Parts: sequence; structure tokens; C-alpha cells
Amino acid sequence: MKFTHTAMVAVPRAKVWAQVMDVPAAARCVPGVASVRPSGNGKYEGTLAVQVGPVRLVLDGDLAITARDENAGTAALRAEAKDSRVGGAIRATMSLALAEKGGETEIRIETDLAVMGRLGEFGQAVIKRKADQLMGDFAECLARQASAR
Amino acid sequence: MTFEYHEPRELGPALDLLARHGQDAHLIAGGTATVLLLRQGLLRPGHVIGLRRIESLGGIARTSDGGLRIGAMATHRAVERSPMARAYSPALTDAFASVATIRIRNQATVGGNLAHADPAQDPPPMLAAFGATVTARSSRGERTIPVADLAVDHFTTSLAGDEIITEVVLPPIVEGTRAAYLKFLPKTADDYATVSVAATLRLASDGTVAAASIFLGAVGPTPIRARRVEDALRGRARGDIGEAAALVGEEIDPVDDARGSSEYKRRMARVWTERTLAQLLR
Repeated sequence: MKFTHTAMVAVPRAKVWAQVMDVPAAARCVPGVASVRPSGNGKYEGTLAVQVGPVRLVLDGDLAITARDENAGTAALRAEAKDSRVGGAIRATMSLALAEKGGETEIRIETDLAVMGRLGEFGQAVIKRKADQLMGDFAECLARQASAR
Repeated sequence: MTFEYHEPRELGPALDLLARHGQDAHLIAGGTATVLLLRQGLLRPGHVIGLRRIESLGGIARTSDGGLRIGAMATHRAVERSPMARAYSPALTDAFASVATIRIRNQATVGGNLAHADPAQDPPPMLAAFGATVTARSSRGERTIPVADLAVDHFTTSLAGDEIITEVVLPPIVEGTRAAYLKFLPKTADDYATVSVAATLRLASDGTVAAASIFLGAVGPTPIRARRVEDALRGRARGDIGEAAALVGEEIDPVDDARGSSEYKRRMARVWTERTLAQLLR
């Protein structure tokens, strides 16, 4: 499943870049994320709790920044997580692009998400909507943080 | 998978159990949805509260004002075959009759269906178009929620964790109101809808539309009210509905899946909205 999310933040690109590259801080902008910590080699461990109606998932996994180019304002990320209780996993590759537009910054995140095991039972509609909600909240929170700094 | 199963005979003890165990408890009505979630391991409650022995949650009856009361534990099949429900509106019994298969309809309940909040289900858009409400009880009291406001997201309702739906109440139908439920099933007859349209329509004495209520299923995270179509229809005559129906595309939010692309569903929503309206204006 592929998604593209964009958001405008009313601060310069360099500021947004610094903010996004501070993974533990940026991750706090994703609702349901708990305890993100560096695990070495540019990787971070953490958990993400997601609720769909009566179903509660706790995804345990890691996130790595696999490429970054500060001059271009682009980065590639890879996330893998599983819920061992329910029995299912996700794998996501994301590309991030920051573009300065008239003093504001456009954040563009392209995600290629694979959902495995029982999590797939939810169906694409639910997964896409949850991803939209998470990314939307993430971008809004980044914008709030950036303008507060 | 292990849980403690409770099967109270009265509503009071069921409410107490739900209040006591909170998120660790899950209700089971007909079980057509819950058992699947349990078997898939997506749901792992410590306590399951069965509602089937609670007699006060059953029954289908006309209300004194000419409306209809459907107990939360009434099955889809019971509504489909109820002379009282059919006398209220054949479109209502048609909507229930279009759900899945007889085996499912014999098991699935009206309250369970609404609490499950799957946006592709058939009864919720039809009940919403009739202006139905649900009664929700908890150990704190009772409140009334319009069916149109019950689902807030995929599989998510505005019910609090300690509330149980006890009944669905349909208001009396205004004289001259027509109703229909149409479901687009390009694959198999027992499938979920690709798009479904529930509508009620009342004509003025000059034959133009005086009021309309239109809800679509399967094209968003909840049943979606087509307010722009409703507004555009007012005052229009038969044969002049295409433009109004075309507005439905602006109101829905379908996604790509095995039943079609979002673009396809958008087009089909327009086609089926127009067909439903044409049937009502025949």
C-alpha cells in the first residue's frame, strides 16, 4: 500500500530538518508512540499503540534512517514492527522531502507499507485511514512544535 | 484464547459486569462479528458478556405514536420477517433482507450490527435515513443517540465503554414519505456492498421534492449523509434529479480495495444515488 502525505509548516526548512532528524523528539509527535530510544547504528527502538474500535494493537519495532541529504532536504527511513500478541507485522519504507516554499516548508512523506499476518484482516480501508490519521497528526504536531520554538 | 464467559438474564447485572471489567470485557450479541475477531486473535478480552438470555432486549413492536421499536437483540431475520416492520416500511425489511445470507441474518442482531460499526453494513444507512435513534443504557443512566451520530469511524462508535444498546426506535413516518434501499453488488449476492444508498423522500402536492434524507454505505469510514444532494433535491421535479445526484461525489470518501478503486466507487455512488431517487420518484 502506498500513501503520500503532505503538510505545510510555517517555519524555514532548516528548522524543520533539525526537528525531524531528532527522531525521539519527532516520534513524540506520532500519537500512540511510547519510549523511543536509540539502539545504535542509527536505529531507534520504540512502540506504537493503535486502536481500531475494540481492537488494540501494540506494535514493537525499530526505525532506521537509511539515507539523508541535508542539502537536498531528503531522507529515507525504514520501519519494522510487530504485534506478537495478535500476530502480525508491518514494514514501511518512507521517503521524506522538505521543500521551502515562500518562507514556509512543505513536508512530503511517501510511504510504502506492507502489512503482514493477522493485521491484514483489517482490510486496506481501515489501514489507510489509520495511516492518514497518524501522518496528519504527526504533521500538525511538527508544525505546532516548530512554530513554538 | 481464554476468557470468562458471563450470561446474565437481566440487563442490570450485564451493565454491572461491563462497568466492573471495563476494557477487559467485550459484549457478544449474535456473535457474527465478535466471534471472527476472537478467532483471529484481534480481540482478547478477559471477560465476554453474552446478551442472548436478556429477554428485555428482544422484540419488535409498533410504538403508540406509529413508530417502530426494535429490541437490540432482535435478529436481522426477525426484522426482515416482521409484519410490523414491513407495515412500517418495506424498504426497512428490504435493507435487513439484503444482509449476507439467511444463516448470518438468523444470528446477527440489530444492536450488535450497530455497535460493530462496519461502514459497509446495510441496516445503518437505512435506519439513519428514517431518523432512527438508539437507546444506550449504562449503570449511570440512559441516553438517546441518533443512528446517524452513532458511528464515528471504522468499527468505532460514540458509545461509552460501559454502555449497551438496548433498542432502536424509528419515528413515525410522515404521510406520503417513500423509502428505498439499493445495494450495488457486482460480485456475489452475499457480499458487502460496493456502494449502498438508503433514501427517504417526501413529495409536495405539486409533485416536487419537499424533503429528502439520503445516506450511503461502504464509501467512507461511517455511513455518509449526502446533505448536498438532499438540499439540491428540494423543489425539484421528477426527471430533474441527475444534477442533484451528481453532487454525491463531493460528500463521500471511498478507498481502493478489492471491490473497486475509489474513482470507480465515486462513479457508482452517483449512478446508484440516481437510481434510488428515480425509483422513489417513479
